[in-house]
Amino acid sequence: MKTRTYLIKEGYNNLRKHGTKTISTIFIICATMLVLGIFIILFQNVNKNVQTVRLEQGLQAFIDDSATQDDVEYMMDEIKQIPGVKDVTYLNKDQAYEDAKEVFSGLDYFLDGIENLQIFPASFVVRFERIEDSETVKSEVEKIDGIYKVKYNETTIQAVIAISKVANVFLLGVGGVLLVVSIFIISNTIKLAVYSNKREIFIMKYIGATNKFIKTPFVIEGALMGLIAALISFVLISLGYVVLYARAPQIQASLGVFGFLPYSNLWHQILGIYIILGLFIGIFGSSISIKKYLKV
Amino acid sequence: MIEFINVSKSYDRGIKALDNVSVRIDKGEFAFLVGPSGSGKSTFLKLMIREETATSGKILIDGKDVGRLKQKDIPYFRRKIGFVFQDFRLLYDRTVEENIVFALRVIEASEKDIRIQLKNVLAMVGLTGKEKFYPNQLSGGEQQRVSLARALATKPPIIIADEPTGNLDPTTADGIFKTLLEINARGTTILVVTHAKDIVDKLNKRVISLDHGRIVKDSQRGGYQI
Repeated sequence: MKTRTYLIKEGYNNLRKHGTKTISTIFIICATMLVLGIFIILFQNVNKNVQTVRLEQGLQAFIDDSATQDDVEYMMDEIKQIPGVKDVTYLNKDQAYEDAKEVFSGLDYFLDGIENLQIFPASFVVRFERIEDSETVKSEVEKIDGIYKVKYNETTIQAVIAISKVANVFLLGVGGVLLVVSIFIISNTIKLAVYSNKREIFIMKYIGATNKFIKTPFVIEGALMGLIAALISFVLISLGYVVLYARAPQIQASLGVFGFLPYSNLWHQILGIYIILGLFIGIFGSSISIKKYLKV
Repeated sequence: MIEFINVSKSYDRGIKALDNVSVRIDKGEFAFLVGPSGSGKSTFLKLMIREETATSGKILIDGKDVGRLKQKDIPYFRRKIGFVFQDFRLLYDRTVEENIVFALRVIEASEKDIRIQLKNVLAMVGLTGKEKFYPNQLSGGEQQRVSLARALATKPPIIIADEPTGNLDPTTADGIFKTLLEINARGTTILVVTHAKDIVDKLNKRVISLDHGRIVKDSQRGGYQI
């Protein structure tokens, strides 16, 4: 057996020796990872929907009131020449008023008496070839004289974006707290492991074990806890998402435009982040204790 | 070779554990270190393995200045010294074989060396056939033999035994010393810290007596005298 294999085996034996403590540590790391997983899923789904809506609905560029018909035609040509623009539609003030009526549907008495004032600005609706072009097209349109404001046409999912922003902050907050708790708990578990292996460590020192040799099994113990938690969390979150995705049509119907990403687009990202996070929590948490309690 | 040159060691609050000690133990020698409790014996051993550093003076082990060792070199230096404890310090959840192999794993020995050394040291201490026993299934004397086998496994040129028979009856103690003499006959330097007057007198080996941190007597063929 090579030294490396021996040290990994020792780390694994430590893990088994501290059974209950190991299980509770893995449990708390799983909680951290599940919260983070929900964050990733929510973030990616909202992001995907925003992109879809942007691609479908494009952006709206508002035209100065002072612009003449010639100016409008000139601007339209300019926009059409921007690379990545799929098509451009002109909305005059009357159409803008009609749009507003649609937005205020049910409350359109607000608009009573202003139909002839033409207070809603004329605009262009610009759609993109690809979603990746959106930002460059937006900045190019903003540069055109006579355009005073450019925004994405995403009113339909503004509520989703707003809610997801709050949810993201909340999830990141909870995730951050749980991350700190996880590191603390794992370092505490390793501290106990160091104490329970005091005799071995003492003998090792006298025999002439290097610091690395003494420390490695504890780092491996921490890393293994992190990895096991990563795999359990991955299975749990995958099952959860698959069940949710199966009910996607009903959920989509109740949320309107909102659509779910298939799990095949997400699993590798989640698994990768879980493994990295598991190793980080495990190695960082155990290193804290080793540094503090393992005077070798 | 072990050499202390004008070595003093003071602890906090000015307690002087060793006071200007100079002594030389040659390669292949068998020596006893005796003295009452608090005479400085433990400090002497701790300085030898660099668990403590001397306040002044120089300690040479196998030509190496122990006080000047870099932190990273200490483990490799310690492999030159096998340590046998009064309370055996065995791992009770591991078999005799595993306790010995543990020492060989620590020094990152190859599989082949592990197999050969295990067989050799078990024969040397008379424990062949007891490989699969747990320490609790053995007598005190046998447990001390396991401790001795573990110390020998890494082939150190020096063995330090700190009260190796302190927990054993006289007959068993005789057996342990017999084994230590055999090991010494193969060229290993042996330093034994002991209170076992009868054995020291009987073996008629070199005796270094410490008292209040000073060497008060060093007789080449002496008896136990403080």
